[in-house]
Formats: sequence, C-alpha cells, structure tokens
Amino acid sequence: MSTTSPSEFAGTTMRSASALSTRALRNTRRMPSTFLPTLAMPIFQSIAFAGTFFAITKVPGFPTDRSINWYMPLAVCMGAAFGGVGLGFSAIKDMENGFFDRLRMAPTPRRSLIIGPLISCYIRTLVVVTVVLLVSICFGARPTSGVVGLAMLYIAALGLSTVSAGWGLGIAFRFRDMRGAAIMQLTLFLTMFLSSAQTPLNVMTGWLHTVARYNPATNILRLSRQGFLGDVTWDGVWGGLVALVGLSVLTLWFARRGLDSLDR
Amino acid sequence: MTATLSVQSTAAMSHNWRIGFRQTVAMSKRSVLALWRQPALVVPSMIFPLFFAALGTSSFGRAINLPGFPKVDSFLDFSLAGTIVQGVLFGSVQSGSALATDIENGFFYRLMAAPSSRLGILVGRLAGAAAYGAFQTLFFSLLLLPFGMSIKGGPLGVLIMVISGGLIAIAISGFMAAAALKTGSSEAVQGIFPLVFIMLFFSSAFFPRQTMSGAYKHIADFNPISHLIEGMRDICIDGLSSGAIARAILVPIAIMIVSFTLALRALAQRIAAQ
Amino acid sequence: MTSPIIATGLARYFGSKDEPIKAVDGVDLEVKEGEIFGFLGPNGAGKSTTVRMLTTLLRPSAGQAFVAGYDIVKDADKVRRSIGVALQDAAIDPLMTGNELLELQAVLYGIPANQMKKRADELLERVGLTAAADRRVGTYSGGMRRRLDLALSLIHQPTVLFLDEPTTGLDPMSRLTLWEEVKRLNSEGTTVLLTTQYLEEADQLADRIAIIDHGKIVCEGTPRDLKAQVGAPTLLITVATHLSDTATQVLKEFGDMRPTAEGTLGVGLNAGVEAVTDVVRRLDEAGIRVQHLELNEPSLDDVFAEATGYRLEGAKQ
Repeated sequence: MSTTSPSEFAGTTMRSASALSTRALRNTRRMPSTFLPTLAMPIFQSIAFAGTFFAITKVPGFPTDRSINWYMPLAVCMGAAFGGVGLGFSAIKDMENGFFDRLRMAPTPRRSLIIGPLISCYIRTLVVVTVVLLVSICFGARPTSGVVGLAMLYIAALGLSTVSAGWGLGIAFRFRDMRGAAIMQLTLFLTMFLSSAQTPLNVMTGWLHTVARYNPATNILRLSRQGFLGDVTWDGVWGGLVALVGLSVLTLWFARRGLDSLDR
Repeated sequence: MTATLSVQSTAAMSHNWRIGFRQTVAMSKRSVLALWRQPALVVPSMIFPLFFAALGTSSFGRAINLPGFPKVDSFLDFSLAGTIVQGVLFGSVQSGSALATDIENGFFYRLMAAPSSRLGILVGRLAGAAAYGAFQTLFFSLLLLPFGMSIKGGPLGVLIMVISGGLIAIAISGFMAAAALKTGSSEAVQGIFPLVFIMLFFSSAFFPRQTMSGAYKHIADFNPISHLIEGMRDICIDGLSSGAIARAILVPIAIMIVSFTLALRALAQRIAAQ
Repeated sequence: MTSPIIATGLARYFGSKDEPIKAVDGVDLEVKEGEIFGFLGPNGAGKSTTVRMLTTLLRPSAGQAFVAGYDIVKDADKVRRSIGVALQDAAIDPLMTGNELLELQAVLYGIPANQMKKRADELLERVGLTAAADRRVGTYSGGMRRRLDLALSLIHQPTVLFLDEPTTGLDPMSRLTLWEEVKRLNSEGTTVLLTTQYLEEADQLADRIAIIDHGKIVCEGTPRDLKAQVGAPTLLITVATHLSDTATQVLKEFGDMRPTAEGTLGVGLNAGVEAVTDVVRRLDEAGIRVQHLELNEPSLDDVFAEATGYRLEGAKQ
C-alpha cells in the first residue's frame, strides 16, 4: 500500500469536507425550520433591543446616539454563535440515528467531519449577517466607517461561529444526546450576555463590569461594532482578533478530541 | 311531596357542589405538585427572570437618571414588576403545555370519563397556575430585597402584588389553556413561547415607555403586557395609591375574563368533539 | 495469505475501572477467506460491540484483531478502506436521496469523480433501487433502506463485508432478496461476517458460525458439526399444567431436559428416536395424558439453546 503524501491528504480532507458541507446545506434547504429561527432571532433582537433600550444612548459616555448601531452587531454575533452550536445539534441527531457511525467508518481524515459542517455554517452565517445588516439599515442602522467597518462585523461573526461550532461539536461528541444541546446553548447564552452585550464597559456598574472586562466576548463584540461607532481603530480590533483566534484553536481542539473520544 | 323533593334536590346540589369543589382542589393540587416534582420545568421560569434582572441592573444602572425615567433609587425597583411578569409568562407556557400533554397521553379523557366536574379540569389547572404565580411574586420580591431594592408600598403593597401576580397567572394561563385545549399538542403550546417573548420585549417590561419613541412606543402603549406590569410597578416605586391598586388588580381581571372565556369555549368544543 | 478476520483475546469493558462491565470478554475468532461467517448471540451478549471493534468504531480494551491483514487500532484507516459495513437499523439520513447518499459515500471512500456515477448506477441496479434513486430515503420501505445500505457498503468494492443484523424487522420476501444478494456477493469472493438473531438465516447462509454469550464465544463450528454435537433429537411434549412437574421427573430418565417455550417440556432423547414409545408408556404409567407430542431432529436452535440456555424469538420451536 502506498503512503499518502501530505498534499494528497489535504486534498482528500477538502473533498470529503466539501461533500459533507453540501449535504448540510442541502438539508438546511430541505428542512428550513432548522435554519429560520437562527435568522429570525437576530432580526428580532436587533429591532427589539434597539427599540426597548432606545434611551440608553443618552447616558453620558455612550459611544453612539443610534441604539440600533449598538444592538445590531450584538444580534449578529448572537445569531452567528447560535448558528455555530447548531452544528452540535446536527451532530447529535446524526449520532442518535447512527448516521455518524457511517461517517466515522469512512477512510477519510477525521478532521473533515469537523471542517465540512463548519464550511456550511460559514455560508449560513454569511446569509444571516447580510440579512440582519440590511434589515437593520432599514430600521435606522448606519455604518460609520464604510467597507472596512462592515468587514469587521463579518470577521467577528465568522470567527464567533467557528468558536461556537467547536464548542457545540465538542459537547455533542461528549454527551451524544440532547442533554448536550441544553448545555451548549446555556453556556453560550451566559457567555454572550455577561459581557458588553447591552451597554459598554464605561456605562455598566458593579459585578457585571468585573466579569465583562475579562470576558473575551467583550473583545469580540467590540470588534463587531467597529464599523458602527466611529472609525475602525487598531485598539478596537486586535483584542477581538486575539480572542477569536485563541478561542477557535481551543474549541476546535476540544471538538477534535471529542471526535476521537467516540471510539474510546 | 314537592317540598321533600325540593329539599332533596337542594341537598343533592350542595352535595354536588362540594364534590365539584373537592375535585377542583385535587386538580389544582396535582398541577402544583407536577411543577414541584419536575424542577426542569420550574427552574427556567425562576432563574431566567432573575438573571435578566441582575444583568439589567448592572447594565442599565446609570439609566435611572435619564429624562423620562421614573424616580427610583435602584434600577431593581423598576425591574421587579417586569421580572415577576416575565416569570409568570414563562410559568404559564409550562402550565399550558402540561395540560396539552394530559390531552396527548390520554389522561385528560380519563378525567372526562370519570364522573367529575368538567369545569374542574380547567379551573383546577388555572388555580394551580395562580398559586404558582403568587409564589413567584413573593419569591422575587423577597429575594431582591437584600440587593438594594425597596418596595414603597410596604407589606400591604407586597400583598396586593402577590394577589396581582396570581391574577396575572390566571389571565395568561387562560390563553395557554385555550391553546392547549384547541390544539391538544404540547409542541404547539411551546411554539407560542417565542410569541410571548416578542410580546414581552415590545412592552415596558425592561425599560419605561416614557423613554421610547416612534412606532415602538406606540406598540408598547397598546401592548397589554405593559399594563399588566405597570400597576405592580407603580406600587413598587410610588407606593400605594388607589389608582395603582386598581390597575394592578383590574387589568389582570379584564384580561382574565377574555382568556377564561376563550378557554371555556375551547373546553366545550373539545368535549363536544369527543 | 492470512485470514481476513482474526481476533485474539479481543475484549471491551465499559463503566468504571474498578468494576468494569465486560461487554466483550476475550473473544478469539478466525474468519477464513471467502467464508460467510455467522455470529450469533442473544441481545446484549456482545455481538454488536465485537462488530463495532472490528469495524474500527470502538477501540478494544484488551486483545488484538486484524481485519484484511491490518491491525484494527494501528492501521484503522487501511482497515476502513478494505471493509464494507451495513449497520444495524440501516442508519441513513432520511433527508437525503439514494443517489446523494451514494455520492457522499463515494467521496468519503475516495472514489475518483469520473467513476462515481457509473459505480453508483451499477450498485443501484444491483440492489434494484434504480427507480427510487432520486427519492428521499425517508420515503423508502424498510427493505429498500437495507438494500440501499448494502449498496453503500459496496461502493469501494470491499473484500470483507460486515452485516449487522441485516434482516431484522424485514418481511419474509425482502429477507429472501437480501439473502440472495449476500450469497451472490460471497460467490464473487467477498468474505462476509454476519450477525443475526435468526437461526434460519445463519443456517441458510453461514459456512461456519460462532455463538457469543456473556461476552464469550461459547461454541463455534459448521452448522452441521454443531448440530451433530447436540446429537440427540428433541422430544417436545405438552401435558396439563398441574402435571408438568411429575412429567419432568419421568422425562429426565430419558435424557437432559432442554429449554423450550412455556407450556411445553423438551427432552433430548439419548437413545434416539426409538425411545419415543418408551417415553409415552412411562408417562401413561404415571397417569399423565399427553396432549401434544412432537419430535425434532437437532436444529441450530437446539445448538443455540444448549449453548446459551435461551431459545431465540422467531426461531422454530
């Protein structure tokens, strides 16, 4: 038997991964009820938060006078994050009906079982970001620093969906049933909200300030809001990038280990 | 002869009434016990409102000085009523879906087949919801007190809030029961949850209406949930006044009449369809 | 050429380290080239766990196994390239169509793109699903799903085929179709390991069988040898319930009692068929009237019952 060269190995990975992502996207189209909530939720959140907390921008030190400029990136990030853990849901479903065994038995690099769904998740995230952005603009959101600023929103969303996909898959591979789904959603929800989700650090008070300052979600949200609060600055960007790269590496490693733990 | 008959029938009526009452009590006891025994159903309706209250207080603590914001010492004073109604809404969805589950697994029809009062099935369920709503009100009020919240209405105010909480629970559970009886599917009742959530956000649950603007303010003005909350909120931040008490009691009663009528009609339809 | 499946001391423990549950407790197996090997056992005896280990889905806790000449742990990837597996319950994503599943499987098994279509069409033809190829699998019948599952497992022309309870839940017609297909594959040179709950299936298909119980192989051999080992024919007798204890005493004089369905007594006649008249006479002397009497030549069911103490559901009684 000939040994496969690294480039061949990478080629096999990508071929399998793209077939798996095609499958995931096709299933999304065939069962839209799994995707529509992840699209509707951020639209609702963007509008509802902006409307309810309309006056919060008048607090001294608030970085914008448009509440939707503040809350839309939050909604996009929440949507991207929940889209990511959605991969965990699908994996649990595949494990419960045995389909995942079939995938694990295939002589293809194991990492393609993570990369494939991840690609499909990116495509769904791009749809979510674009739709939420357009709807929010109709409701008064105004980009403040052009294409670069918008790019920051997309980068934050894609990064966050990587992080949460790794987290969701890792939990799914360990719990293997719907208990895992509750855990991944709850942890994500808490992490996202215990940050500068609702108000900036300089406006919040008390215990939350302490927690939010160290929560990497604060950095990621700061990155996502770069294009809506003024000019894009390196100070506002680098923390989020570091958090995204660091967390992605950690959670993808967690998912990869979880995948291996299935045959242990 | 006629006299004895009428005496007998009066006795029989009071006898029937007593049995009906006992059955209703048994049914409400069952619905409360069911909540007690399944913490997974109760915990979210206790924890999430508290989480949002804690989060809001820290996030929006500085908002209390904004123009249009009611005069309060702590954001918690403002958020208490919203927290309570949030908890009651979540709890009501659970109680409605429990009724639908009864229909799904056939327990409902066993009750119907028994010589029990059919109204008792509904009233018992709603009474159970009221007890839970009153408990939630008391629990949230007492729990938040040590965190800098003050209730201007004092102990009497708390009592009225507890009554109001029970009434709100009946009002909302009535809608859920109507949905459960109509569809007979717990999934359909759970499906109302996002709708409830949306209604909650388009109200004054998290922020005062006075600070909102445009169409959003109009929606919140017309949203009955705003009015369910604000009677209780007035008692908490302004103290007892006849206006506040009337709002806290009468608004839930008005909604209750509507939802109870709907639930009764759905019950009659389900009985007729059987 | 080494045998396509060799396992030595293969074991799998679940649960805590201190008190492990030994699902598979030291299995030795050898399946020879070109064989159909039947792997039998009651539910929970360790059949599926053994198959999951041999198909690289689960790592053994102890022991070793080689499939198609490769170590199942160290060379898992090569094992995967050489084996085809049809899973229990035909685990298939119901939202996909037959064609889409075959295509996905082809990619995962590294079939070159220009051969995929041809290969898929051949396989669909072979299992009789050409007409249903573009329908979603969710609309398939149980038999169709199993046939598609078989087609999927053949996409890379494996030399060793694992079939985990391939006909459970199928109607008799579908079962026959699947048997034919398995025989045909085998005649083309594929080695088959088949787990089943149906003794008739093993009797029909398997060249050799092994029976696993409580995680251990309790007997192994060709169906004919195993039946011969059980030897004595079984006499099945039905008597009035209140007399069954007395009757058991009488029957024990003629041989060992054998497990049977409730309400029936079974005895292995050591002296062979000739003993029947004596049995009836002795029962009569004891005042027991025989309500029903049946004589069975040894079957795989007897082998199974002797080895495990159970009779399998669905088997002839």
